[in-house]
Amino acid sequence: MNNQQTAALMHPIPRYAIDSRKLNLWYGTFQALYDVDLSIREGLITSMIGPSGCGKSTFLRSVNRINERLGYVRIEGSVHVMNENIYDPQVELVQVRKQVGMVFQRPNPLPISIRDNILFSHRLHAKGGGEVAQGTPDEIVEQSLRQVLLWDKVKDQLKRKATELSLEEQQKLCIARLLPVKPKVLLMDEPCSALDPKGTEAVEELLWELRGQYTILIVTHNMAQARRASEECVFMLMGKVVEHALTEEMFVTPKHRETADYIEGRYG
Amino acid sequence: MATANPTMFQASDLNHHNERVQKRYRLLFGLMTLLLITPVLLILGTLVVKGGGAISWEFLLTAPTDGMRTGGLFPALLGTIWLVTVALLLSVPIGIFAAIYLSEYAGDNWFTRTINLAIINLAGVPSIVHALFGLGAFVLFFKFGTSILAASLTLAVMTMPVVIVATRESLQAVPQAFREACWNMGATRWQTIRRVVLPNSITGILTGVILEVSRTAGETAPIMFTGAVFFTPFLPQSVFDQTMALSLHLFVTATQVPGIADEVPFGVALVLIGLVLTMNSVSIAFRMWLRGKKKW
Repeated sequence: MNNQQTAALMHPIPRYAIDSRKLNLWYGTFQALYDVDLSIREGLITSMIGPSGCGKSTFLRSVNRINERLGYVRIEGSVHVMNENIYDPQVELVQVRKQVGMVFQRPNPLPISIRDNILFSHRLHAKGGGEVAQGTPDEIVEQSLRQVLLWDKVKDQLKRKATELSLEEQQKLCIARLLPVKPKVLLMDEPCSALDPKGTEAVEELLWELRGQYTILIVTHNMAQARRASEECVFMLMGKVVEHALTEEMFVTPKHRETADYIEGRYG
Repeated sequence: MATANPTMFQASDLNHHNERVQKRYRLLFGLMTLLLITPVLLILGTLVVKGGGAISWEFLLTAPTDGMRTGGLFPALLGTIWLVTVALLLSVPIGIFAAIYLSEYAGDNWFTRTINLAIINLAGVPSIVHALFGLGAFVLFFKFGTSILAASLTLAVMTMPVVIVATRESLQAVPQAFREACWNMGATRWQTIRRVVLPNSITGILTGVILEVSRTAGETAPIMFTGAVFFTPFLPQSVFDQTMALSLHLFVTATQVPGIADEVPFGVALVLIGLVLTMNSVSIAFRMWLRGKKKW
């Protein structure tokens, strides 16, 4: 039996895009994650909420393995992305980064043109195997910018430096530049916290547009956002998963006392 | 409408006092700035007044005659261009590559800290010590003899720390967020350096090179034992020849030639400074062109 068949037996429908098993993570001697078992369903938007330091960002960063760059991080357990363990020693990090895109709190477009930003990742991966967008560079640029609802605004200024855009546009661009390499998962670490309410609304609208095509895992401090913009919700506290449920259920009838207290703003 | 309390926003004695003190400091800082540019103006002014008369095409393009009392400085001018060019060809690639390694690849550990300390110390070594090192290493040990190659190698060793430090600083001025954005898309270190870090730091690196040019062209001690000679009737044909050089020629005409007209050494100095300024201007123009072209 090959890996995929085994995985298929282990995970009958619904399919999980991210599946962590007994994930423990230490920053030096500080343990940030305790036995985290999380199964994130494919094609949905899942939000992660919890007070600062609860481990939600840490979990997010373990899904494309950027935590390790710090050097003093130790990880036990496994994270499967599309049924493959990304902590397997055989795994090529470059492929992980291709399949699992990340969007940060602070928009971080590269100081090159809008067009080059969109094509940056594609140029890195186009000849490297794996699925990427097909078509001429111009088509790819247009397609990606259309997907993030930015095309009409920037179609006449593709040569403009990306860092000159507004924060909202920059953040949309940072999402758009991930799309040409056809990632399976998009991780977003508080993608709206640097944006004003209008920008936040625009990015949330974009998330709904992308829903279904990508599995989106979004960390947020904004409970209203989690409620508005996600289908499933994970509540974490002190490095552990407390509750994982459909968003509407969690916000209406939370099963745990801690969840209820947090949602109602008794601590944060 | 009359205000309820007209004195509320009036300056107090303390406000007046603070304002007077601040003006005094502004004056002090301004005077220091003037003081700073005075020598530059005086030097340039003196050179132009006393040496300007010596400058002519003949002075620039002919060899010295009559025991260097008359004629021009062409061999020295050409020699300096040779020395600077060869030194730059050696030190710029090595310096930039080393700086890229130190800034982009090496971790922060005792080994790199030691290297950094060594670079700072190397930058502080007096040029006469470099001269003796060059004599021992390149002229005698490697048997290059007194030649352009030996002199340029000495100059390269001496100026490399400047290139490394300037390059490293401009590399580190590129925000870390850009690098992380690249890495998170699966770019390797080299792809990140090639596509984002270097294009953003090239202007700073050029500044380091410009600084080095000025220093290299003016140095006397490192070349006088290793490749530059008081006088040679031959123009250098290859890097294994000896050569005259402007800086040494200035020293010679100013101190070693009795009965020489005053304007000759001043003229030599003016040409040396002119050469440095020209090279710097070209580099600065190139830098501005790059900056305009690349939009950062």
